[in-house]
This record gives sequence, C-alpha cells and structure tokens, in this order.
Amino acid sequence: METEEAQIARGLRGRDPEVLDALIEQYQHRLLRYLLHLTGNRAVAEDLFQETWLRVLEKGHLYDGRNRFVTWLMSIGHNVAIDYLRKRSPASLDEMKDPEEGTPFEPPASGPSPFDVAAEQQQHERFNAALEKVSPLFREVLVLRFQEQLKLEEIATLIRIPVATVKTRIYRGVAALRPLLQGGPQ
Amino acid sequence: MTAGEHERALDLTMRRGTEEIGAPDSAWLNSHLSLCPECEAFAADFDGTGRLLQAVAVTASPSLVAATQMRVRARALQMQEREARTVLIAISFCIGAMSSTMSAWLWWRFGGWVAQRLALPPSIVEPGVFVVWTLPAVVIAVAMLASSRPVIDRSLTMRILEKQQEGGRQ
Repeated sequence: METEEAQIARGLRGRDPEVLDALIEQYQHRLLRYLLHLTGNRAVAEDLFQETWLRVLEKGHLYDGRNRFVTWLMSIGHNVAIDYLRKRSPASLDEMKDPEEGTPFEPPASGPSPFDVAAEQQQHERFNAALEKVSPLFREVLVLRFQEQLKLEEIATLIRIPVATVKTRIYRGVAALRPLLQGGPQ
Repeated sequence: MTAGEHERALDLTMRRGTEEIGAPDSAWLNSHLSLCPECEAFAADFDGTGRLLQAVAVTASPSLVAATQMRVRARALQMQEREARTVLIAISFCIGAMSSTMSAWLWWRFGGWVAQRLALPPSIVEPGVFVVWTLPAVVIAVAMLASSRPVIDRSLTMRILEKQQEGGRQ
C-alpha cells in the first residue's frame, strides 16, 4: 500500500495541480508561521511563502517520499528565506524587521472573559516581542521544535547543522527567553 | 553528578514530547530533575517556552492561499509549455542537421558541376556556392542573437491565464 509521502512524491513528480493545491491548503499555516518567525515581517513572509511553493513545484522531482513531507517543505522554505535574507541583509538578519509594523502574529481568539482575553493577549504580545529580539538562529530552532514538533534530527537535517548545534541553539534560545518567562504572568 | 548526566538530562528534556522516550529513560530523567535544580529550571523554562510558542496563532489569509495556488498553476503551465517547446526544438534541430548534411553534399557537387560547365576553377566555385547556400541561415541566426526581444512575445500560457482572469471577472 502506498504511503501518504509516496503519493505526494508521485504527485510532485507529475506536477499534479490537484496535489499541489491540496498541499498548499494543508500546510499553509505551518509554512507561513515558520517563515514569519524566520523573517519577523509578515509581508516578506507572504512573498517567501509563494516563492517556496514555486520552488516546491520546480524541485518536486527531488522529493523521494522517504522523509516526512513537512520536513522537506520546511527545508525548501528555509533555503528560500536564507537566499532572500542574504540578498537583502547580509550583515544582520534582525534588520529585516519593520519597526513600524505592529505585532505580526494574530493572538488566539478564545478566553473566558474580556479581562482574561486582554491579559492573554498582552502576554502573547510580550512573548512575540521578546521572541523577535532573539537571534533568528535560535528563533528558528525553537519554532521548528515547538510549533512544528520536529525531532532534533529532523531539525538538524533541515538546517544542515549537527544535532549538537541544534541542542545548543535550543538551549540558548530558551535562556534568552528566560527573563520573560520568569517575569510574566503564567 | 557528572557533566555527562546533565547533558543526558538536557537531551532527554529536549526530545520529550516529540520523540518516544523509554520508561527507564523517563524515570531516570524525573529522578535527575528532582535532584538537580539547574536542570529542573531549564526543563521548566523549556516547557514554558513551548507552551507560549504553541499558543501563538498565525494564519494564512484565503487570498494568499488562492494567489499562491494560481501562481503555482501558472508556473506549472509555463514549465509544461517550455518542455514541449524544448522537445520540438530538439526534433527540429535533428531534422535540420540531417537535411543540412545531405543537402550540403549535393550543393557542393552542384558547385563542381557549375564550375565545369562555365570552365571556372572548382576551388573557387564550390566554396562560393556553399557560402551562398549557408548565407541566409547565418544572417537569420545573427539577427536573432543580436535581437534582445524574445521571438514570441506573448506565450500561450499568459494568454490562457488572461482569458481565465477575464472569465473570472465576468
């Protein structure tokens, strides 16, 4: 029986528009979230989102279906973002952030009372602000580990760094966010 | 406690949640965290960071998704068209090369015949006829290379997409 990954690989090899449409639908939020955390700018992330899918179309024949599609997709997104950031800002990736732009993330819309909602929103805004201050290198691994739920080995493969470096970056990323976690309301 | 034990605790903490950790490892980690305040603090920060990151909601707008799907479909069409054109060009090139080789020999012989009939030196007439024969192709090739404009300004793909867009507006 053909696995889901094998079906995706076959669809990508044949450049099946239905398969591509379904993949865009399925992974839209995850990819955009990753690119948004990587660049810190929604407009840029949306451009890179489109560019990533175009590259998926062009490089689709290279996906063999042995690894999870999400890992391959994120590695394409990573390369697209890195290419863009290198062209745009070789000195510092943090310069990509638009200081006039508000919080780029949409807070979750749930809460038992307006006060709780406001408090939660404030907490998330503070967290997002703190997250944006963290080096993109650390931010990326944190997003991949916690939001995309990738294994350490998958992150290492995706970013093409040793697993030990992934662990170091996670450790340092968590340490950079520690003041917020200890100071803010839980 | 040794540095190796702290390292193992950090490794297991980072893997917990996304990877299967055996019961002995899990029990060892819990035991280590209860004895090591430093590793326990890291585990708490790690879990807190995870909770906050997972609570951050980022959604792609439907218009972004629709625009991406349209661009991907358009690019797929362009790629198919380009591939079809490449095949046609390759076939044309092969046919052209074969017919050129055959006709070049015939034209060379024709030059020799003309030289014989007009009592001219074949060493001049044969290459002359050959040059006249190749001249149109050389001129066209040079003109195409010199021109920066593509031979086909508007591709079939763009026309199809424009028609689709017009249909969508109506």
